[in-house]
Amino acid sequence: MHIVDGALSNAVVLGGGIAAAGGIAMGLRSLDIDRIPTAGVLSASFFVASLIHVPIGPSSVHLILNGLAGLLLGWAAFPALFVGLLLQAVFFGFGGLTVLGINTLNIALPAMLAWLIFGRLIGRGTPGQGALWGGLGGGFAIAGTTAMVALSLALSGDAFLPAAKLVFFAHLPVMVIEALLAGFAVLLARKVKPELFTRNAIA
Amino acid sequence: MRHLFLITALLCAPLPALAHKVVAGVFPSGDAIEGELGFSNGDMAAGTEVVVTGPDGAELGRTITDEDGFFLFVPTAPVAHTFRADLGAGHVAEVTMPAEEVAGILGAAAPATPEAEPPAAPAPAADAGASMAALAETRRRAIAEAVRNEIRPLRREIAAYREHNDLQTILGGIGYIVGLFGLGFYLAARRRLAG
Repeated sequence: MHIVDGALSNAVVLGGGIAAAGGIAMGLRSLDIDRIPTAGVLSASFFVASLIHVPIGPSSVHLILNGLAGLLLGWAAFPALFVGLLLQAVFFGFGGLTVLGINTLNIALPAMLAWLIFGRLIGRGTPGQGALWGGLGGGFAIAGTTAMVALSLALSGDAFLPAAKLVFFAHLPVMVIEALLAGFAVLLARKVKPELFTRNAIA
Repeated sequence: MRHLFLITALLCAPLPALAHKVVAGVFPSGDAIEGELGFSNGDMAAGTEVVVTGPDGAELGRTITDEDGFFLFVPTAPVAHTFRADLGAGHVAEVTMPAEEVAGILGAAAPATPEAEPPAAPAPAADAGASMAALAETRRRAIAEAVRNEIRPLRREIAAYREHNDLQTILGGIGYIVGLFGLGFYLAARRRLAG
Protein backbone atom coordinates (compact mmCIF):
# COMPACT_ATOMS: atom_id res chain seq x y z
CA MET A 1 0.00 0.00 0.00
CA HIS A 2 2.97 2.27 0.51
CA ILE A 3 4.28 3.44 -2.84
CA VAL A 4 8.06 3.85 -2.69
CA ASP A 5 10.31 6.69 -3.87
CA GLY A 6 10.93 6.70 -7.59
CA ALA A 7 7.92 4.61 -8.63
CA LEU A 8 5.76 7.53 -9.73
CA SER A 9 6.16 10.34 -12.22
CA ASN A 10 6.96 13.81 -10.89
CA ALA A 11 3.58 15.22 -11.90
CA VAL A 12 1.74 12.59 -9.83
CA VAL A 13 4.02 13.14 -6.82
CA LEU A 14 3.56 16.91 -7.02
CA GLY A 15 -0.20 16.75 -7.55
CA GLY A 16 -0.57 14.28 -4.69
CA GLY A 17 1.48 16.52 -2.42
CA ILE A 18 -0.66 19.57 -3.14
CA ALA A 19 -3.93 17.66 -2.71
CA ALA A 20 -2.68 16.12 0.55
CA ALA A 21 -1.65 19.55 1.85
CA GLY A 22 -5.17 20.79 1.12
CA GLY A 23 -6.67 17.81 2.93
CA ILE A 24 -4.40 18.33 5.93
CA ALA A 25 -5.38 22.01 6.11
CA MET A 26 -9.08 21.07 6.00
CA GLY A 27 -8.48 18.42 8.64
CA LEU A 28 -6.63 20.76 11.00
CA ARG A 29 -9.46 23.29 10.75
CA SER A 30 -12.05 20.64 11.60
CA LEU A 31 -9.94 19.22 14.43
CA ASP A 32 -11.31 20.85 17.57
CA ILE A 33 -9.92 20.33 21.04
CA ASP A 34 -12.28 17.48 21.97
CA ARG A 35 -11.17 15.31 19.11
CA ILE A 36 -7.39 15.77 19.34
CA PRO A 37 -6.99 12.76 21.67
CA THR A 38 -9.10 10.60 19.33
CA ALA A 39 -6.95 11.68 16.40
CA GLY A 40 -3.78 10.90 18.36
CA VAL A 41 -4.96 7.42 19.32
CA LEU A 42 -6.02 6.59 15.76
CA SER A 43 -2.76 7.96 14.38
CA ALA A 44 -0.83 5.69 16.74
CA SER A 45 -3.07 2.72 15.82
CA PHE A 46 -2.42 3.32 12.14
CA PHE A 47 1.32 3.61 12.79
CA VAL A 48 1.44 0.25 14.58
CA ALA A 49 -1.14 -1.55 12.41
CA SER A 50 1.28 -1.73 9.49
CA LEU A 51 3.50 -3.99 11.59
CA ILE A 52 0.75 -6.53 12.19
CA HIS A 53 1.20 -9.00 9.38
CA VAL A 54 -1.59 -11.35 8.49
CA PRO A 55 -0.18 -14.48 6.85
CA ILE A 56 -2.12 -15.40 3.70
CA GLY A 57 -0.75 -18.50 2.01
CA PRO A 58 2.93 -18.05 1.21
CA SER A 59 2.70 -14.30 1.53
CA SER A 60 1.40 -11.84 4.08
CA VAL A 61 -0.36 -8.50 4.13
CA HIS A 62 -0.59 -5.88 6.83
CA LEU A 63 -3.48 -3.98 8.32
CA ILE A 64 -4.08 -0.35 7.44
CA LEU A 65 -6.99 0.77 9.64
CA ASN A 66 -7.70 3.88 7.57
CA GLY A 67 -11.45 3.12 7.43
CA LEU A 68 -11.77 3.26 11.20
CA ALA A 69 -9.76 6.49 11.36
CA GLY A 70 -11.95 8.04 8.67
CA LEU A 71 -15.24 6.98 10.29
CA LEU A 72 -14.24 8.52 13.61
CA LEU A 73 -12.37 11.58 12.38
CA GLY A 74 -13.78 12.71 9.03
CA TRP A 75 -11.50 15.32 7.49
CA ALA A 76 -9.22 15.10 10.52
CA ALA A 77 -8.14 11.69 9.19
CA PHE A 78 -5.78 13.58 6.86
CA PRO A 79 -3.46 15.02 9.54
CA ALA A 80 -3.75 11.88 11.71
CA LEU A 81 -2.78 9.52 8.89
CA PHE A 82 -0.13 11.93 7.61
CA VAL A 83 1.64 11.83 10.98
CA GLY A 84 1.45 8.03 10.99
CA LEU A 85 2.84 7.80 7.45
CA LEU A 86 5.63 10.28 8.17
CA LEU A 87 6.80 8.27 11.17
CA GLN A 88 6.50 4.98 9.25
CA ALA A 89 8.70 6.43 6.51
CA VAL A 90 11.28 7.71 8.98
CA PHE A 91 11.33 4.77 11.39
CA PHE A 92 10.58 1.75 9.23
CA GLY A 93 11.43 2.95 5.73
CA PHE A 94 7.90 2.24 4.47
CA GLY A 95 7.18 4.39 1.43
CA GLY A 96 9.42 7.44 1.35
CA LEU A 97 9.58 11.14 2.07
CA THR A 98 9.11 12.39 -1.50
CA VAL A 99 5.96 10.27 -1.99
CA LEU A 100 4.54 11.16 1.43
CA GLY A 101 1.92 13.47 -0.12
CA ILE A 102 0.55 10.98 -2.61
CA ASN A 103 0.58 8.18 -0.01
CA THR A 104 -1.34 10.40 2.41
CA LEU A 105 -3.88 11.19 -0.30
CA ASN A 106 -4.24 7.52 -1.32
CA ILE A 107 -4.93 6.41 2.24
CA ALA A 108 -6.74 9.40 3.77
CA LEU A 109 -9.07 10.35 0.90
CA PRO A 110 -10.94 6.99 0.86
CA ALA A 111 -11.08 7.22 4.68
CA MET A 112 -12.70 10.65 4.41
CA LEU A 113 -15.10 9.36 1.72
CA ALA A 114 -16.05 6.44 3.97
CA TRP A 115 -16.96 9.02 6.63
CA LEU A 116 -19.00 11.05 4.10
CA ILE A 117 -20.96 7.98 3.00
CA PHE A 118 -21.22 5.88 6.16
CA GLY A 119 -20.46 8.41 8.92
CA ARG A 120 -24.09 9.39 9.50
CA LEU A 121 -25.37 5.84 9.22
CA ILE A 122 -23.19 4.37 11.97
CA GLY A 123 -24.69 6.72 14.56
CA ARG A 124 -28.28 5.76 13.76
CA GLY A 125 -30.47 2.77 14.61
CA THR A 126 -29.41 -0.01 16.91
CA PRO A 127 -25.73 -0.55 17.71
CA GLY A 128 -25.90 -3.67 15.51
CA GLN A 129 -27.03 -1.69 12.48
CA GLY A 130 -24.37 0.91 13.19
CA ALA A 131 -21.76 -1.85 13.34
CA LEU A 132 -22.89 -3.19 9.96
CA TRP A 133 -22.44 0.22 8.33
CA GLY A 134 -19.14 0.64 10.15
CA GLY A 135 -17.94 -2.65 8.71
CA LEU A 136 -18.98 -1.61 5.22
CA GLY A 137 -17.14 1.67 5.70
CA GLY A 138 -13.99 -0.14 6.84
CA GLY A 139 -14.02 -2.40 3.76
CA PHE A 140 -14.87 0.49 1.47
CA ALA A 141 -11.86 2.53 2.62
CA ILE A 142 -9.45 -0.32 1.73
CA ALA A 143 -11.10 -0.83 -1.67
CA GLY A 144 -10.85 2.91 -2.30
CA THR A 145 -7.18 2.91 -1.35
CA THR A 146 -6.39 0.06 -3.75
CA ALA A 147 -8.16 2.00 -6.51
CA MET A 148 -6.19 5.15 -5.64
CA VAL A 149 -2.88 3.25 -5.66
CA ALA A 150 -3.72 1.73 -9.02
CA LEU A 151 -4.71 5.15 -10.35
CA SER A 152 -1.42 6.69 -9.18
CA LEU A 153 0.47 3.92 -10.95
CA ALA A 154 -1.69 4.29 -14.07
CA LEU A 155 -1.01 8.04 -14.22
CA SER A 156 2.70 7.22 -14.04
CA GLY A 157 2.52 4.95 -17.05
CA ASP A 158 1.44 1.50 -15.80
CA ALA A 159 -1.65 0.00 -17.41
CA PHE A 160 -4.55 0.70 -15.06
CA LEU A 161 -6.55 -2.53 -15.10
CA PRO A 162 -3.78 -5.09 -14.44
CA ALA A 163 -2.29 -2.91 -11.71
CA ALA A 164 -5.71 -2.32 -10.13
CA LYS A 165 -6.54 -6.04 -10.22
CA LEU A 166 -3.22 -6.99 -8.68
CA VAL A 167 -3.52 -4.54 -5.79
CA PHE A 168 -7.24 -5.17 -5.27
CA PHE A 169 -7.07 -8.96 -5.08
CA ALA A 170 -4.01 -8.91 -2.86
CA HIS A 171 -5.94 -6.78 -0.40
CA LEU A 172 -9.21 -8.74 -0.37
CA PRO A 173 -8.24 -10.48 2.90
CA VAL A 174 -7.30 -7.14 4.45
CA MET A 175 -10.65 -5.77 3.35
CA VAL A 176 -12.50 -8.59 5.12
CA ILE A 177 -10.40 -8.30 8.29
CA GLU A 178 -10.70 -4.52 8.43
CA ALA A 179 -14.45 -4.65 7.81
CA LEU A 180 -14.78 -7.00 10.81
CA LEU A 181 -12.47 -4.82 12.91
CA ALA A 182 -14.29 -1.60 12.05
CA GLY A 183 -17.66 -3.27 12.61
CA PHE A 184 -16.74 -4.52 16.06
CA ALA A 185 -15.04 -1.24 16.97
CA VAL A 186 -18.22 0.66 16.10
CA LEU A 187 -20.32 -1.88 18.02
CA LEU A 188 -18.16 -1.52 21.10
CA ALA A 189 -18.02 2.26 20.88
CA ARG A 190 -21.78 2.50 20.36
CA LYS A 191 -22.31 0.50 23.55
CA VAL A 192 -19.76 2.08 25.86
CA LYS A 193 -19.33 5.58 24.44
CA PRO A 194 -22.35 6.45 22.28
CA GLU A 195 -21.58 10.18 22.33
CA LEU A 196 -18.59 9.53 20.04
CA PHE A 197 -21.02 9.26 17.12
CA THR A 198 -23.65 11.81 18.01
CA ARG A 199 -21.68 14.50 16.24
CA ASN A 200 -21.70 12.43 13.08
CA ALA A 201 -25.44 11.86 13.37
CA ILE A 202 -26.10 15.59 13.61
CA ALA A 203 -23.57 16.83 11.09
CA MET B 1 -19.26 -19.88 1.03
CA ARG B 2 -16.42 -22.33 1.40
CA HIS B 3 -15.90 -22.27 -2.37
CA LEU B 4 -15.82 -18.52 -2.37
CA PHE B 5 -13.20 -18.60 0.35
CA LEU B 6 -11.15 -21.13 -1.60
CA ILE B 7 -11.32 -19.03 -4.75
CA THR B 8 -10.26 -15.96 -2.80
CA ALA B 9 -7.37 -17.84 -1.24
CA LEU B 10 -6.23 -19.15 -4.62
CA LEU B 11 -6.44 -15.70 -6.14
CA CYS B 12 -4.25 -14.31 -3.43
CA ALA B 13 -1.72 -17.12 -3.29
CA PRO B 14 0.52 -16.37 -6.28
CA LEU B 15 0.73 -12.65 -5.65
CA PRO B 16 3.90 -11.20 -4.21
CA ALA B 17 3.81 -9.52 -0.86
CA LEU B 18 2.68 -6.05 -1.78
CA ALA B 19 2.99 -4.35 1.51
CA HIS B 20 6.64 -4.67 2.31
CA LYS B 21 9.78 -2.76 1.85
CA VAL B 22 11.91 -3.68 -1.14
CA VAL B 23 15.48 -4.76 -0.42
CA ALA B 24 18.17 -4.87 -3.08
CA GLY B 25 21.93 -5.22 -2.90
CA VAL B 26 24.85 -5.68 -5.29
CA PHE B 27 28.34 -6.96 -4.57
CA PRO B 28 31.39 -8.07 -6.57
CA SER B 29 31.46 -11.79 -7.29
CA GLY B 30 34.54 -12.88 -9.23
CA ASP B 31 34.39 -11.29 -12.65
CA ALA B 32 30.68 -10.46 -12.38
CA ILE B 33 28.38 -8.30 -10.32
CA GLU B 34 26.06 -10.37 -8.21
CA GLY B 35 22.93 -8.90 -6.74
CA GLU B 36 19.85 -9.92 -4.89
CA LEU B 37 16.35 -8.59 -4.95
CA GLY B 38 13.38 -9.21 -2.73
CA PHE B 39 11.07 -8.00 -0.02
CA SER B 40 11.99 -7.31 3.58
CA ASN B 41 9.86 -10.22 4.84
CA GLY B 42 12.12 -12.74 3.09
CA ASP B 43 10.15 -13.24 -0.13
CA MET B 44 12.68 -13.06 -2.95
CA ALA B 45 11.78 -11.69 -6.36
CA ALA B 46 12.04 -14.61 -8.81
CA GLY B 47 12.09 -14.12 -12.58
CA THR B 48 12.15 -10.34 -12.38
CA GLU B 49 13.86 -8.39 -15.12
CA VAL B 50 16.64 -6.07 -13.94
CA VAL B 51 17.63 -3.22 -16.23
CA VAL B 52 21.24 -2.10 -15.99
CA THR B 53 22.10 1.48 -16.94
CA GLY B 54 25.27 3.53 -16.94
CA PRO B 55 25.76 6.94 -15.31
CA ASP B 56 24.50 8.68 -18.48
CA GLY B 57 21.25 6.68 -18.43
CA ALA B 58 22.21 4.53 -21.43
CA GLU B 59 21.16 0.90 -21.09
CA LEU B 60 24.11 -1.46 -20.58
CA GLY B 61 22.09 -4.66 -20.52
CA ARG B 62 19.38 -6.68 -18.83
CA THR B 63 19.36 -9.69 -16.60
CA ILE B 64 16.73 -11.91 -14.97
CA THR B 65 16.69 -13.01 -11.32
CA ASP B 66 16.73 -16.73 -10.47
CA GLU B 67 14.24 -18.38 -8.09
CA ASP B 68 16.17 -17.11 -5.06
CA GLY B 69 16.10 -13.52 -6.26
CA PHE B 70 19.78 -13.52 -7.26
CA PHE B 71 21.04 -12.06 -10.50
CA LEU B 72 24.43 -11.91 -12.22
CA PHE B 73 25.73 -9.26 -14.56
CA VAL B 74 29.13 -9.23 -16.23
CA PRO B 75 30.34 -5.63 -16.57
CA THR B 76 32.28 -4.55 -19.65
CA ALA B 77 33.05 -0.91 -18.86
CA PRO B 78 34.45 0.55 -15.61
CA VAL B 79 31.57 2.97 -15.03
CA ALA B 80 28.96 3.15 -12.29
CA HIS B 81 26.26 0.52 -12.85
CA THR B 82 22.70 1.26 -11.78
CA PHE B 83 20.36 -1.71 -11.37
CA ARG B 84 16.66 -1.01 -11.50
CA ALA B 85 13.77 -3.45 -11.19
CA ASP B 86 10.02 -2.96 -11.08
CA LEU B 87 8.36 -5.44 -8.72
CA GLY B 88 4.88 -4.17 -9.52
CA ALA B 89 2.29 -2.23 -7.53
CA GLY B 90 4.55 0.69 -6.78
CA HIS B 91 7.55 -1.30 -5.62
CA VAL B 92 10.68 -0.20 -7.44
CA ALA B 93 14.18 -1.20 -6.45
CA GLU B 94 17.18 0.82 -7.53
CA VAL B 95 20.75 0.19 -6.45
CA THR B 96 24.03 1.51 -7.83
CA MET B 97 27.52 0.05 -7.79
CA PRO B 98 30.13 2.82 -7.93
CA ALA B 99 32.68 3.00 -10.77
CA GLU B 100 35.67 2.08 -8.55
CA GLU B 101 34.11 -1.21 -7.52
CA VAL B 102 33.25 -2.08 -11.13
CA ALA B 103 36.83 -1.22 -12.13
CA GLY B 104 38.03 -3.53 -9.34
CA ILE B 105 35.97 -6.38 -10.80
CA LEU B 106 37.30 -5.74 -14.29
CA GLY B 107 40.85 -5.56 -12.93
CA ALA B 108 40.43 -8.90 -11.16
CA ALA B 109 38.83 -10.49 -14.21
CA ALA B 110 41.40 -9.40 -16.81
CA PRO B 111 44.36 -11.62 -15.76
CA ALA B 112 42.09 -14.53 -14.90
CA THR B 113 40.60 -15.04 -18.37
CA PRO B 114 43.68 -16.26 -20.33
CA GLU B 115 44.58 -18.73 -17.59
CA ALA B 116 41.13 -20.24 -17.58
CA GLU B 117 41.68 -22.05 -20.89
CA PRO B 118 44.81 -24.32 -20.64
CA PRO B 119 43.96 -26.84 -17.88
CA ALA B 120 42.03 -29.09 -20.32
CA ALA B 121 45.15 -30.99 -21.48
CA PRO B 122 47.42 -32.70 -18.92
CA ALA B 123 50.58 -30.63 -18.82
CA PRO B 124 53.95 -32.30 -19.57
CA ALA B 125 56.65 -32.14 -16.92
CA ALA B 126 58.45 -29.35 -18.76
CA ASP B 127 55.96 -26.67 -17.90
CA ALA B 128 54.95 -27.91 -14.47
CA GLY B 129 55.20 -24.34 -13.26
CA ALA B 130 52.44 -23.22 -15.63
CA SER B 131 50.32 -26.18 -14.58
CA MET B 132 50.83 -25.27 -10.96
CA ALA B 133 49.74 -21.74 -11.75
CA ALA B 134 46.66 -23.03 -13.55
CA LEU B 135 45.86 -25.36 -10.67
CA ALA B 136 46.28 -22.54 -8.20
CA GLU B 137 43.97 -20.46 -10.31
CA THR B 138 41.21 -23.11 -10.47
CA ARG B 139 41.64 -23.80 -6.77
CA ARG B 140 41.45 -20.10 -6.01
CA ARG B 141 38.22 -19.88 -7.98
CA ALA B 142 36.73 -22.89 -6.22
CA ILE B 143 37.59 -21.40 -2.83
CA ALA B 144 36.12 -18.05 -3.81
CA GLU B 145 32.94 -19.81 -4.96
CA ALA B 146 32.71 -21.83 -1.73
CA VAL B 147 33.22 -18.75 0.42
CA ARG B 148 30.53 -16.91 -1.51
CA ASN B 149 28.09 -19.75 -0.96
CA GLU B 150 29.01 -19.91 2.71
CA ILE B 151 28.42 -16.23 3.42
CA ARG B 152 25.25 -15.96 1.33
CA PRO B 153 22.86 -16.98 4.15
CA LEU B 154 24.76 -14.69 6.51
CA ARG B 155 24.35 -11.80 4.14
CA ARG B 156 20.65 -12.48 3.85
CA GLU B 157 20.34 -12.69 7.60
CA ILE B 158 22.06 -9.33 8.01
CA ALA B 159 19.72 -7.80 5.43
CA ALA B 160 16.72 -9.24 7.27
CA TYR B 161 18.11 -8.02 10.59
CA ARG B 162 18.54 -4.51 9.25
CA GLU B 163 14.85 -4.51 8.28
CA HIS B 164 13.79 -5.79 11.65
CA ASN B 165 11.71 -3.36 13.67
CA ASP B 166 12.25 -3.77 17.36
CA LEU B 167 10.08 -2.65 20.23
CA GLN B 168 12.16 0.44 20.92
CA THR B 169 11.53 1.79 17.42
CA ILE B 170 7.80 1.17 17.71
CA LEU B 171 7.58 2.73 21.17
CA GLY B 172 9.67 5.65 19.94
CA GLY B 173 7.23 6.25 17.09
CA ILE B 174 4.25 6.11 19.43
CA GLY B 175 6.05 8.51 21.74
CA TYR B 176 6.44 10.97 18.87
CA ILE B 177 2.73 10.71 18.09
CA VAL B 178 1.74 11.27 21.72
CA GLY B 179 4.08 14.26 21.95
CA LEU B 180 2.86 15.76 18.68
CA PHE B 181 -0.81 15.47 19.55
CA GLY B 182 -0.06 16.68 23.07
CA LEU B 183 1.50 19.78 21.53
CA GLY B 184 -1.59 20.22 19.35
CA PHE B 185 -3.75 19.85 22.42
CA TYR B 186 -1.71 22.47 24.26
CA LEU B 187 -1.94 24.94 21.37
CA ALA B 188 -5.69 24.40 21.02
CA ALA B 189 -6.20 24.78 24.77
CA ARG B 190 -4.16 27.99 24.86
CA ARG B 191 -6.19 29.40 21.99
CA ARG B 192 -9.40 28.54 23.77
CA LEU B 193 -8.20 30.12 27.04
CA ALA B 194 -7.13 33.29 25.23
CA GLY B 195 -10.40 33.54 23.32
